[in-house]
Amino acid sequence: MRAVYGIVVRELVRFLRQRGRVLASIGRPFVWLIFAGAGYAAVFAGRNEIDYRVYMAPGLLGMVVMFGALLAALSTVTDRDAGVLRMVLVAPIRRGTIALGKALGATVLGTTQAVVVAALLLPLVHLRPSIAGALLAAVAVVLSSLAMGALGLALAASIRSLENFAGVMNFVVFPMLFLSGALYPVRHLGPVLRLVAYVNPLAYGVDLLKHALLGAWASAGYGGEMSSWLDIAALVGFAVVGLVAAAPLLAREGGVTRTAFRQRV
Amino acid sequence: MTAAAIEARGLGKDFGTIRALEQLDLDVRAGEFFGLLGPNGAGKTTTVHLLATLLAPTRGTARVVGHDVVRDDLAVRRAIGLVFQETTLDRDLTVQENLRFAGRLWNLPGPLAVPRIEGLVRQFGLLERRDDPVRTLSGGMRRAADLARGMLHEPRVLFLDEPTAGLDPRARRSLWELIGRLRQASGLTVFLTTHYVEEAEPCDRVAVMDHGRLVALGTPAELKRTTGVTSLEEVFLARTGHALGETGAG
Repeated sequence: MRAVYGIVVRELVRFLRQRGRVLASIGRPFVWLIFAGAGYAAVFAGRNEIDYRVYMAPGLLGMVVMFGALLAALSTVTDRDAGVLRMVLVAPIRRGTIALGKALGATVLGTTQAVVVAALLLPLVHLRPSIAGALLAAVAVVLSSLAMGALGLALAASIRSLENFAGVMNFVVFPMLFLSGALYPVRHLGPVLRLVAYVNPLAYGVDLLKHALLGAWASAGYGGEMSSWLDIAALVGFAVVGLVAAAPLLAREGGVTRTAFRQRV
Repeated sequence: MTAAAIEARGLGKDFGTIRALEQLDLDVRAGEFFGLLGPNGAGKTTTVHLLATLLAPTRGTARVVGHDVVRDDLAVRRAIGLVFQETTLDRDLTVQENLRFAGRLWNLPGPLAVPRIEGLVRQFGLLERRDDPVRTLSGGMRRAADLARGMLHEPRVLFLDEPTAGLDPRARRSLWELIGRLRQASGLTVFLTTHYVEEAEPCDRVAVMDHGRLVALGTPAELKRTTGVTSLEEVFLARTGHALGETGAG
């Protein structure tokens, strides 16, 4: 498992060296809190029962996890472009080990960022979770990071170039965010969109975070909308699917010569 | 030492309808300095990737230090070092960090890896630059760092796929000095692919490849004598009907 450790360490070192990425990941939720928060708070139906900025807090943590883990998965695309993936592929380790290392790297990054943001955000909106709530929130953050990292990895491994990835980010990230319950309850959506929300891993992560942090508002209808066990099972399921899908896709890099041939012919 | 480091039997690879490698039969002895000479697109890189388990063969078999490349791919990868045409180092990490990363990928415990990295960095003239990000290194130094990465786990067979591509003559010379020293020190088998005749000249044996086929095999002296010419360049011309510089079809 030394290889997994090595892959995780490399992800961390790379992340910490990119100062812009660190600042963006910590600053982004506060930009949403200020701008989206201010606007939505005025029109939010539940304004008498819950401050919209409190309602947003679990969703913003989910967003931090999503960006943190997906951007970590993005590094697989740059690894491929830069050739680093080949160093990993010629090492005596299984493809599944590579996928696991990458996904765990994304988990560590997503979780760390969410913890840092939570430490700043929750006091700011005067949200003080119980100990049980904080523990459940930690479980939610770790499992969501793992699920998002694994799925992002499968996505990144199946994509050839960075340009494609940017497109996917736009067509995946924003729908995923809006259909996650981060900004408004999923139950207010129409049946079709609600169906889409149910195949959205972020929706389960955000839902579990609501269970953890918005328990006091559950009776008013602003807590989790699904069972926490369902949330946990779904996140684990997404993580397994992502890892199983990513491993063979990563091995396709072996086809470097194939690409070289196509270019030449 | 006559044990085979590499044995290929009818080894071939197709990419769709393109036959990148027809049917290769080849034996490379342990400790041998073996050169695969041919133009771009001859099938050299395909051969290396098949032997290094990065590609699955379409037909035939191959064994590297006794391990089958399909059934025993992990054992093969453990026994070989591979330096690619382009660098595989992480440009944002330092030389030292890259080597530490490689050490973990090859499952070397820290107490083993650290002194070994120290030794390689010193031997390869990277001591002063080891804490610099790889992207700040010259092409020659980057190549030396790549080679250090390939040698870290003390492989028995080292594959060098066009190792001097893009290097200036001085960097080329110092790379060859390094490789020469490594061979002397460890009895390492070196499998080199190149399209430069002068790089194939010092090899113990040279295989000439064109259009995915082996067209000649022997010591440089034998090849010249049997072809009745004085240079490997002419050997290539005589055996293929075209000059080495002219790229064979894809």
